[in-house]
Amino acid sequence: MEKQVDSAPEVEVSREEITSVMTALEPDQIIFTKEHHHCPRRRLTRNEMILFWALRIYLVFMVGVVVYQTWTGVR
Amino acid sequence: MYTCANYPTSGIVSRSLSHRVDGMNDSMKEPKTASEPRGGAIPRSNLLNDLRTSGTDVVITHEDIDRAHDRERVSEMRARRGFRPRLRLFWLLIGPGILVMLGENDGPSMLSYAATGARFGIGFFVPFIALTFLMACVVQEMTVRLGAATHRGHAELIFDRFGPFWGWFSMIDLMLGNFLTLVTEFIAIRAGLGFFGVRPAVAVLSALLVLSVALMTHRYWTWERIILGAAMFNLVFVPVALLTHPHWGTVGRALVTWRPLPGGLTQETVLILLANIGATVTPWMLFFQQSAIADKGLTTRDIRFGRVDTVLGAALATVAALATMLATAPLFMHHMSAANFEAAEFAQALQPFIGHWGAALFALGIFEAGMVAAITISTSSAYAFGEVARRPHSLNLPFKQGRAFYLVLLVEAAAAAGLVLIPGIPLVYIVLLVNVIAVLAMPPALLFLYMLVNDREIMGALVSPLWANLLALGVVTVLIGAGLLFGISVIAPNALALVGGR
Repeated sequence: MEKQVDSAPEVEVSREEITSVMTALEPDQIIFTKEHHHCPRRRLTRNEMILFWALRIYLVFMVGVVVYQTWTGVR
Repeated sequence: MYTCANYPTSGIVSRSLSHRVDGMNDSMKEPKTASEPRGGAIPRSNLLNDLRTSGTDVVITHEDIDRAHDRERVSEMRARRGFRPRLRLFWLLIGPGILVMLGENDGPSMLSYAATGARFGIGFFVPFIALTFLMACVVQEMTVRLGAATHRGHAELIFDRFGPFWGWFSMIDLMLGNFLTLVTEFIAIRAGLGFFGVRPAVAVLSALLVLSVALMTHRYWTWERIILGAAMFNLVFVPVALLTHPHWGTVGRALVTWRPLPGGLTQETVLILLANIGATVTPWMLFFQQSAIADKGLTTRDIRFGRVDTVLGAALATVAALATMLATAPLFMHHMSAANFEAAEFAQALQPFIGHWGAALFALGIFEAGMVAAITISTSSAYAFGEVARRPHSLNLPFKQGRAFYLVLLVEAAAAAGLVLIPGIPLVYIVLLVNVIAVLAMPPALLFLYMLVNDREIMGALVSPLWANLLALGVVTVLIGAGLLFGISVIAPNALALVGGR
């Protein structure tokens, strides 16, 4: 059973093109495979979570510093 | 059985695809996998490449066919022996590394280098800039391995592995940073063409037109070659530097002796230091190079070439950056104030030293830097959007199939271009701050990259070795240190004395 996808024109794919795709690309390079197989989510350890949050706080704080500098600079 | 049912990516669908692929699948893959270990392929066993399509529905897309054609050319060259095939293979595989490095020599970066040369000379900054490009090599090498091992973009991997909560943080950082940087690219375009008397609106609209034309190839390979050709124009700063007749002995001594920071550590020098670091390492580079590698179809066998590509790009970018600094160094030697210079003013101020043609080349170089970066940065945003929104995202896509990808790219560029045309916007200030923001946003972005590239489940045997991890941690330490120094210089400038400043 086939149906057209996303209004894409249905185009005949030649045998050579299929051969080319299947031989030249690695299995996980084929778009269909990539769309259907995603990396499973990993569990972050406690230390990793702390590091993530620490850097996030650092970034938010430093952006605040930039905003402050911009504000004083413009004034 | 292979069908296209429920496949979200629009593509070319063959009525007779099912039995053809079904019949070929195993036998056709065997020769490739059997031949891979020859020639030093890196064994890769991870969650992704162990996938097999047999037993499931599959669709071959336009994008797959284009990429397969590119890979066939690579395989053909790899199978041949001799110097010319190797050279041809190199030509086929280079691209993302050079593009990302020369793309990062963008409008604000070149203006930072120009401001550095004009305000501080070359003593401290020649080795410093060379060091920042080494840092960029360390970081970008990780994206080469990650892209080749997973065939996925950076944003997609962050979302998949760390979940949407952290994924969105990463996307917001990227999109905001990219948008602000894009604004500065159009500032550079406007300023560069302004030297020739082109009106701002005409300059900005012309740049948008060039960006759109480059996309019309609908082919990654062609797009990459066009942008590579344009990016090489970044080296136009070399003849400009030569026109200033630099004293090579002094340049050589500056490179090996690394003199102290002129004027000591002040708020101004800290800002310039950060601007120069931000001119070489920024988050968009991670997203762009990894996505470009996936789009180009590089595999683990190509990692060596990917590294050479990156180092070559860094070397070219270093030459262009140092040339820009050398070109404006006469302003420093003649004690000319360049504190509030835009690109056009730099070119005009240099005219007495390098003549009209030299100044015109300088202005053209600034225009080119902004133009190439506008293309690569908006592309990195579009890749990331496509990966996160699970929409088709490739420069191999025809417009109809990659509508969302191309629209994000064009709309972001058009919005940034429009902002530049608003009268009264403090353009010089935006240029300086964009590089600073890039440095500040790098540590969180690098943490994602560091964790992904050390993730054995997706990298297999390609996880970072100890030396690469030490170098990466060194880069993170430098970036955080620079960020904190900037924070101190703004909040408590007097405290700079505690770290040897004034």
